[in-house]
Amino acid sequence: MRFAVRFKHLFALWALVLVSGVVTAPAQDSAAPKNPSEIVTTHSFVSLDPVPRGKEFQAAIVVKIATGYHMNSHKPSDSYLIPTTVTPQLPAGFTLAEAIYPAGRDEKFPFSPDKPLNVYSGSVTLRLRLTADNSVALGAATIPVTLRFQACNMSACLPPVKVPVSLELQVVAAGASTHAAHPEIFSAKPSS
Amino acid sequence: MAMNKAVRTLSTAVLFSVVMLGFSGCKGGSPSTGSGGTPAPLADEPDVTFKDLQGKDVTLASFKGKVVLVNFWGTWCEPCRGEIPILIAMQQKYGPKGFTLLGAATNDEEKAVDTFIHTTQFNVGGQQMTMNYPIVMGSDDISNKFGGLLGMPTSFLITRDGKIAKRYIGSLNENQVVKDVESQL
Repeated sequence: MRFAVRFKHLFALWALVLVSGVVTAPAQDSAAPKNPSEIVTTHSFVSLDPVPRGKEFQAAIVVKIATGYHMNSHKPSDSYLIPTTVTPQLPAGFTLAEAIYPAGRDEKFPFSPDKPLNVYSGSVTLRLRLTADNSVALGAATIPVTLRFQACNMSACLPPVKVPVSLELQVVAAGASTHAAHPEIFSAKPSS
Repeated sequence: MAMNKAVRTLSTAVLFSVVMLGFSGCKGGSPSTGSGGTPAPLADEPDVTFKDLQGKDVTLASFKGKVVLVNFWGTWCEPCRGEIPILIAMQQKYGPKGFTLLGAATNDEEKAVDTFIHTTQFNVGGQQMTMNYPIVMGSDDISNKFGGLLGMPTSFLITRDGKIAKRYIGSLNENQVVKDVESQL
């Protein structure tokens, strides 16, 4: 009997907890953008395997943008818009010749019906032309790269974010044999 | 004996649930820190102090007695810019009736915001106008006091007694926000 009373009280408390959970549960809003990590995924590739010292190679960062989202291109339509950039933090001995960005596409959006914005959407490949000189240690090397972008959906934008990307490569002596890797990426013309 | 054990187990489960719900209710965060795509519960009456462009404190409480639409925006945010003509028109129409917009520039630099608000013209019903409502600086701490921002623009309708009546994520629906503001005046 005593147990029945205590159980009744506990059940009431449990019900209260469940009800409070319902009351405090956040409302879903279809306009709310996703977390940046759900919007953009990145994969990195290197054009030579291994990379001989002194021989120029390329790195590609393939950025997949979730359906319904876009990011400003490297050359956005207006100066106030934040461009997409890739910035390598080069270890000693590596040099950057150029960062290659594909042209964006002009698209109109509900929030900018008259003025098209130059954006990337779907998949975009950003490239870096790099060289490792004779001071770079032989063996495995990592080049950290920062991808900066600012993404929006059809009605809201996420703040600009910086995403770390890693380039992994093997460095060998100058003149050592190597082969072209990922020709499907590096032989293609840069496009968005 | 077995019954007592069952009661203790149930008690522990209930206590755990209460604690976990308490934590979930406190969740804040911003998109840049990975809060996920679900809006947090609305704060009841946010105790917020903004900084204006001269660095002076502006408390939300100082607007008590007025209906306030706090609009989190950024100069870099195209949808935010797109709705500014609506906000200017609302300030013009409802300002004399006890309403004010409060623009909270977020992820921006004060200098860029200052230049923007004094130089950028917007077409408001065929008339070129600059922003005609108070502008303050937002921050992650401030947006967390509103329950966290999932994107911009995000606006909050504040009642005359300082409570959040409604949150709008993304571009405002003009008809809806006008209706909501009028219902508070």
